[in-house]
Amino acid sequence: MSILAVTRREWTGRRNVLLLGLGYSVLQLIGLSFESDMKIAYEKSIFMSVGVGIGLAWVIALLFGATMVSRDLEERRFGFFLNQPLHAAQIFLGKVLAGLGLALLAGLLASVPALLLGGMWRQFLLKDAGSILGIGLAGSLFLLLLFHAVSIQVRSRSLWLLLDLVTWTAFFAGVRWLSQRLMGAWAFQDLVHLWLGLLAGGTLGLGIAGYLQVAQGRADLQRGHRWVSVTLALTAGLLLLAGWVDTAWVLKHRPPVAWTSQPGNRSR
Amino acid sequence: MTSQVETLPIACHQVGVRYGRTQALDQASFQVEPGQVYALLGRNGSGKTSLVRCLLGHQKPTAGRIELFGQDVWSARQTLMHRVGVVAEEPDAPPLMTTRQLVRFCGSLYPTWDQAGVDQRLGRFRIPLDLPFGRLSRGQKGQVSLALALGPKPSLLVLDDPTLGLDAVARREVYDELLGELGERGTTVLITTHDLAGIEGLADRIGILHQGRLLVDASLEDLKARHRKVSWAPSQAVAPTDLAPFAPLWSRTGSLGGEAILTQGDPSQLPGLQVHPLSLEELFVALVGEAEVAS
Repeated sequence: MSILAVTRREWTGRRNVLLLGLGYSVLQLIGLSFESDMKIAYEKSIFMSVGVGIGLAWVIALLFGATMVSRDLEERRFGFFLNQPLHAAQIFLGKVLAGLGLALLAGLLASVPALLLGGMWRQFLLKDAGSILGIGLAGSLFLLLLFHAVSIQVRSRSLWLLLDLVTWTAFFAGVRWLSQRLMGAWAFQDLVHLWLGLLAGGTLGLGIAGYLQVAQGRADLQRGHRWVSVTLALTAGLLLLAGWVDTAWVLKHRPPVAWTSQPGNRSR
Repeated sequence: MTSQVETLPIACHQVGVRYGRTQALDQASFQVEPGQVYALLGRNGSGKTSLVRCLLGHQKPTAGRIELFGQDVWSARQTLMHRVGVVAEEPDAPPLMTTRQLVRFCGSLYPTWDQAGVDQRLGRFRIPLDLPFGRLSRGQKGQVSLALALGPKPSLLVLDDPTLGLDAVARREVYDELLGELGERGTTVLITTHDLAGIEGLADRIGILHQGRLLVDASLEDLKARHRKVSWAPSQAVAPTDLAPFAPLWSRTGSLGGEAILTQGDPSQLPGLQVHPLSLEELFVALVGEAEVAS
């Protein structure tokens, strides 16, 4: 119940972003009404609607994540939550739920009316709705948590930012190296699995870091930053280790790539 | 002994807070008894805000510990907040929420929420319920914060400079509300304030923080009994040596005569001296001034 109270409170302050989705939807419907070839127009509108819907959801999630705690801390408003009998998990999850809800609803508002009017909802929407919503939700969650962590790192202006820079640099360098090894072995499916695994693990790590920032940092932005930095450094290390083990296993058990040259290309 | 410590609303043990090289709070120890009004005073930057943040579990002290009702506030914040009402120095409620929404939000979190009491208080303060919190005046924000803090019928009330920026009428209303609460329920109160005249009639015990150290922790009655304010006319020749036996805390001589605050003995024995009642403000200025000279 308390989580929902926090969610409701976050909604109250930010529900105006839903107007963005609604506004885009209305504009699209107006545009459709001017098209002469309705069949082509509707097909175009489906792809536009889905793209814009997901894009809008992601942008809102990103902006929400960047402000949901760090702005309260900077404006010294976070104490309002801490002065209530709310557990850190309730505060954090309540805010995350509000952000996800707003992002998804805005995305739906932007895309669903045009899809319904396009008349292809039977073939398209029902079949792919699950995956579209899944992509929208997963992307929104990742971006929300990522930008929450980044906003804490940036706004605290502490020396822990150096550890963050080292972590991010090492992580991306490590992922690049692992990806190159898999690509060199033409293991593209394993590469996708690796990236998905890193994304899932990264989302989990970001979630834990965000929770610890609230639970252990509370109103102290610098202390919260320290917890975020250490958690993310550990997560990055663990993910790279798991990725390295996975890549080594794939390369060991994969049959060697058979290079066959075409007769006409043989050099003398 | 154990049961007494367990029931103490506030017990600070050697609390220290450090920001980099700055020691904001140094070994502050004090206790607040049930039903007591403890006024924590100090100049700007003396460490009051850091202490209050630690006291509410917003910040972990770098040294020492703080217990509310016998429980460590850092680890048991959520449980303890059921019994604590807070008015922050800067009204921190979400600016876009209306007072009605704020009351609903807070009311849903406390099983002991006194809706009728909150409605009455907001009515007495004449607060427009459907105006966003951010659009209320400074005084109204403070009044809403106080009404919300008293809503769950707290055992402990922490007020961080609740009269800051309020006009005389709004200040009076805050104090009247507090007096009513104290009279009805005997709530324990910790208040930080710069309004020394306003708090004088309310406080039982005084703590004075100076440069991060707790300079004074004593009952107001004791402090006033220990310190006497005297004055003398220009015609009276009172030399510093005359005052020395009374251990003057502070003294001043000018063309209009002189005055001093003495810390021991009965100054009425000295001819030409008039003894006056000492206000909290005069006492505060003398104690802090003396500490500044000493440091």
